[in-house]
Amino acid sequence: MRLGGIGTRYAAWIAALALALVATALLAAGVVAFRESRLVQAEIHEAVGTARAADEEAALQGTATYLGAHLFNALYQLDVERLNEEIEQVRGWLPTESFLVLDEERLVLTDGTSGNARYGDTFDGELPGETAVPRIVRKGAGTEIRFVISSGGVAAGWGVVTLAEAPWQASLRRLEARTAAMWASRRSSLLSLGAVALTVTLGLGLLTAVLLSRSLARPLTEMSRAAGEIAAGNLDHPLTLDSPDELGDLARALNRMAGDLRAHEEALRAERADLASKNAELERFTYTVSHDLKSPLVTIRGFAGLAGTDLAAGKLDRVRLDLGRIVAASDKMQRLLEDLLELSRVGRVVNPPEDVALEPLVREAVELVKGLLDGGGVEVEIAPGLPVVRADRRRLLEVYQNLVENAAKFTGGASAPRIEIGVRRDDDGRVFYVRDNGRGIEPRFLERVFELFEKLDPGADGTGVGLALVRRIVEAHGGRVWAESDGPGRGSTFCFTLPQA
Amino acid sequence: MSPFTRTAAHLPWRALLAAAALALSAAPCAFAREASAPLRLGVIAEEPNEPDRMLKVFGDMLARLRERLAPAGVDVGDLVITRDLDDLSQRLARGEVDLVIETVFPTLVLQERSRRLEPALVVVRRGQREYRSVFFTKKDGPVRDLAGLRGRTLVLQALRSTSAFALPKAELERAGLVLVPADDPRAGQAQVRYVLAQAEINQAVWVLHGKGDAGAFNEGDWAALPPKIRSRLRVFHETGPIVRGLLSFRAGLDPRVRRLAEEALQGLDDDEPGRAALVRAAGVTRFEPLTVADRKELRNWATVLRPRPAR
Repeated sequence: MRLGGIGTRYAAWIAALALALVATALLAAGVVAFRESRLVQAEIHEAVGTARAADEEAALQGTATYLGAHLFNALYQLDVERLNEEIEQVRGWLPTESFLVLDEERLVLTDGTSGNARYGDTFDGELPGETAVPRIVRKGAGTEIRFVISSGGVAAGWGVVTLAEAPWQASLRRLEARTAAMWASRRSSLLSLGAVALTVTLGLGLLTAVLLSRSLARPLTEMSRAAGEIAAGNLDHPLTLDSPDELGDLARALNRMAGDLRAHEEALRAERADLASKNAELERFTYTVSHDLKSPLVTIRGFAGLAGTDLAAGKLDRVRLDLGRIVAASDKMQRLLEDLLELSRVGRVVNPPEDVALEPLVREAVELVKGLLDGGGVEVEIAPGLPVVRADRRRLLEVYQNLVENAAKFTGGASAPRIEIGVRRDDDGRVFYVRDNGRGIEPRFLERVFELFEKLDPGADGTGVGLALVRRIVEAHGGRVWAESDGPGRGSTFCFTLPQA
Repeated sequence: MSPFTRTAAHLPWRALLAAAALALSAAPCAFAREASAPLRLGVIAEEPNEPDRMLKVFGDMLARLRERLAPAGVDVGDLVITRDLDDLSQRLARGEVDLVIETVFPTLVLQERSRRLEPALVVVRRGQREYRSVFFTKKDGPVRDLAGLRGRTLVLQALRSTSAFALPKAELERAGLVLVPADDPRAGQAQVRYVLAQAEINQAVWVLHGKGDAGAFNEGDWAALPPKIRSRLRVFHETGPIVRGLLSFRAGLDPRVRRLAEEALQGLDDDEPGRAALVRAAGVTRFEPLTVADRKELRNWATVLRPRPAR
């Protein structure tokens, strides 16, 4: 993983996204739980309140009636200790704020406490009559019950009980306290759960983010590296990513682009080399043409001057000889120009290829140079099984004619001059050859023999265009031509290839 | 001749021999049971319907006592809760109770009835080793002294109360006054009538509300009255001091057990848990040995307080 690169951003984004999702979910769950609990609380409050409020009046009346009868004996006997015990017991089931027991003179006998601080106080509120029903007096949120303590029509005094709140309100308050405690507990649980969930999510998110970022960033990183390699000109390191998604498409496009660039570069290099070769050839050609064409011109000019001198001297025989030299030089010049023209045409015009049976073509070429072969006593052997090739027949005939003619020229010194024409198979595929047992070629000249006007033997016949013409025709067909020789006196073999159909 | 003698004379000598052997063999067993019987505290239930209240009051103290006596091989049994003085007296006589904690008057009654109770320790309660009783009346009431009670009604607590019955009664008799129940047909202007209010606070309220002309209880209860009530009352007489309470052993208890129990009881206030247990036991502060002076005073009180047959 590249912590400083795209992987980190992916990791951060994914982790943040996961955390945001979980936090949102938890928050939503918390809000829903909170609202639900509040709604339930409110509904319970309303339901209990409505139900209990309706019963409260009757319940308080019943309570007062019960206390009025229950406390009679203790009050009648002035048993304050027992009254205090009874009040203490009542406080256990009724939320009393104060509990006064009054004697017949409306004086407080006891308030139920050990200090009895209200003892002797006069109660100045309205009290029910001896046979009246208890009075329920509302005082703000509190309620006061005033009842007569009597039995059998005999009243011993009164009881005045102040409730801090209505019993049903106390129940509701306890209920609310309980629901609040439950909510607090639930909130605590939710918070704990949330903390655990966030921690787990953070861990899982980071792990997922790292894995995802590695999965996402690795191909991008590799592509970045590959793009860098391509930018640096190194096109031999294709991307190995082969996924069926967009990244795979991108990798394949990059590989295709690299391949195309490589092909274009190779083509450009080849064209550049070809252009350089052609430039060199053009330079040589210019030099050679100017040099070789200049030679007959010099001859013509020299003999023309001599012819003038001889004509003035009346030496007609010499004039005739001079003119003959001039005609020979101009013929040579014409041949040079024709060969150059032919060479130029070969480079520019190639006829559409056709199936050419090589054996008859070779025999036709041998026949064209038969005079030269016969004059030198050269034996020609055409190997059997020459194939049919796809080529420009006329140009191919020129190739074989030049090669056989060249071989015939350089076999003159051999005791049994011989030319072998055939085809062989090697690493280059089919290799067509013309082999002689003539004077051979030094290794350093094997390449030069194909250059224009290049003649290893200046005394040899010909213009030095033949082998250059051969190379031009073979290369125009997409083939390659070269010479082989084990050295002087050991014969030569001229080979060429042609692309197979 | 007694029936027994007559019967024995007619028994065959073999039967007499067998009976003698049986008696001899049974005697050590009975002695062993006596020696291994647990030490038991007997109390009178304040509220007959709530015996568990007494268990809560004395439970911790007995547990501490059991803990201290266990190493000496003395076991402490469960609390024996009795209905009243008669019940407790009978239990003492039957040997079912070994230990009693009471005020002076009930102790003297038990001693008188069972003839098997021996006071051994003074019970110091709420820091008081001794206390006195006070006579009180309404602040603006006419009673000024004991003599002023003649022909009037005295509000007392309960018959077995020392400070709120026996001691005032003895004090009145010492002053030549006779205390009789208010509903006694003989009650007249020469006697002092009494009613029982069952609680000290009731005594005070009854005096204030005219159910009696005066009341009497101990000085501690006087101090504990609600201020608004106490301020409307007035003390017009005090008795002499008397020990706050007594811890007595059943006569005939194994002296070793008694000695160990006395030591253990006196050591209960040595530590905080022990002190707390004592406080829960009706406000006991500690147990102290009876001094010679205490015993002499008790003999005097016995003369004064000893219950007389009802007239």
